[in-house]
Amino acid sequence: MLLDRTQVRPRGLSAPRRRTTLLLLLIPGVLWYVLFKYLPMAGIAYAFTDFGFRAKVSFVGLDNFKRLFASMDFGRVLGNTLLLSLLNMVVFFPLPILIALLLNEIRGLKARRAVQFVIYLPHFFSWVVVGGIFTMLLSPSNGLVNALLGRLGVAPVYFMASPGWFRWILVGSHVWRDMGYAAVIYIATLATIDPELYASAYVDGAGRLAQTWYVTLPCLRSTIATVLLLNLAGVLKIFEQILVMYNSAVKQVSDVLKTYEFTEGLLNGDIGYATAVGLFTSLVSFVLVVGLNQLSKHVLDESIM
Amino acid sequence: MKYASGPGRKAFQTLNALLLSLTCLSILLPIWMVLATSVSPNAQVIRESYVFFPSAVDLSYYRSVLQSGYFSAFLRSIAVTVAGTVASMALTLPMGYALAQKDLWGRSFFLKMVLLTMLFDGGIIPFYMVVRNLGLIDSYAALVLPVALSTYNLILVKNYMASIPPSLIDAGRIDGCGEMRILAYVILPVSTPILAAVGLFYAVTYWNTYFEVVMFINSSSKYTLQVLLRQLIFESESITSGAEQIYNNFKMTVMVMAVLPIALIYPYIQRHFVTGLMLGSLKE
Repeated sequence: MLLDRTQVRPRGLSAPRRRTTLLLLLIPGVLWYVLFKYLPMAGIAYAFTDFGFRAKVSFVGLDNFKRLFASMDFGRVLGNTLLLSLLNMVVFFPLPILIALLLNEIRGLKARRAVQFVIYLPHFFSWVVVGGIFTMLLSPSNGLVNALLGRLGVAPVYFMASPGWFRWILVGSHVWRDMGYAAVIYIATLATIDPELYASAYVDGAGRLAQTWYVTLPCLRSTIATVLLLNLAGVLKIFEQILVMYNSAVKQVSDVLKTYEFTEGLLNGDIGYATAVGLFTSLVSFVLVVGLNQLSKHVLDESIM
Repeated sequence: MKYASGPGRKAFQTLNALLLSLTCLSILLPIWMVLATSVSPNAQVIRESYVFFPSAVDLSYYRSVLQSGYFSAFLRSIAVTVAGTVASMALTLPMGYALAQKDLWGRSFFLKMVLLTMLFDGGIIPFYMVVRNLGLIDSYAALVLPVALSTYNLILVKNYMASIPPSLIDAGRIDGCGEMRILAYVILPVSTPILAAVGLFYAVTYWNTYFEVVMFINSSSKYTLQVLLRQLIFESESITSGAEQIYNNFKMTVMVMAVLPIALIYPYIQRHFVTGLMLGSLKE
């Protein structure tokens, strides 16, 4: 710093006035957080009531949770949520890292920019548009995929209404839409790696692969951990994609915790019960994230949060 | 730059270029198909369903969409997006700037208050109840106010502004600027990358909103374009052979409209958001 702030301040704002101005700038945002984040947190109290069914609301303790865990729906909904999360983790998660590594090998700046321009684009399309594109590509009567299958002599498949295919369509459309954009953070990290590291690895006799293994990947380690943590926070909350793309034929495999909460609460009016479903989801997510952060402290020796 | 030698190098470069080209192609082909089908003559679309090479450019479906309810929904979506983005920026910038100041009173408390909401939330139902109790159901305000701030965007702005060299701010102070003038004449001009990035993120979120409309809006006369597009595509798809067939070129034309505003601003902002994200995601 070139200037000492204490010497400068008297010529501008006095300290108390600066403090007031900063607080005034902060207040609207804080009010927003209280109103739309913290008031709903207080609303989890509904989970312990029978709100929604009777005119007179009464406290029912943990009855809603008992009902949830005893319900036939619970195992199916939780199973679907976990299976989808697992598929996304296994299939989706490594792809952005791979894209970033491949892109990093491109020498020409123009080619690199062109690829980046294209791969980030679909992330900005709504799920309605992405779902629409997939629906039309996969349509049994006039879709491109079934037309190609037809040439191979395969009978038309109604992919969007097939419980067996629907999960793969969810994962596939997620890959199509977000794979490139999810690579941004890795690309940014790769750009910060000191070229000296590669030079000394080369002097030590490391080939390209060895350089990737011993230099690039270790540099990406903490970024990968951060992304994993952020993904985990949202893993049980997968929602809008399914809300847009599901239909009654695939309900058995597409019902997840969030759609269940939405249907029970806002469509069936069972407010207390649905709040309990939401609270369960939030609590499990919270425990997952805090747990992974603790694990990262021990294993990677750094806290992500 | 990596260092390498050997004959495998060339083969790898070729394979790499091939893989990335295929990735790009898998993204561009469906988009091209939507665009090509929307401008193709009706006869060709009925014959081929999907068009990659239009035999002629026929904009008649654009004319019919412009005269339909989809166009008023398009205008409603634009209005929500513009109003929402302005409201979001007006909330995010001052708060992000204040949080970036090390001498802010109660700073660590306010930061924790913001970050906690990323870890825990009350769920859909309590959120809905708050909006209902505020009397916002079925109003356009419900599409803006409850989602006006994004913690993620706020943190990006805060981190970016914290990385601005203090000497720049001190220079403004020597010139006798007050806090507000420093924000307006010193901070904002050097924050263009992050403003562009965050502005784009907000605008895209508002434009693409689907769930909030379904949840908060009851009158179909207030539906935004995304909701109508979903009905058009998914509800006409389930009735496999309805009496009135809606042709693909009509659907595709509505789809083009549903990405048009994004496609128009994306090229100008794309480079900014990479810079903005890089600088904004630096750890403090």
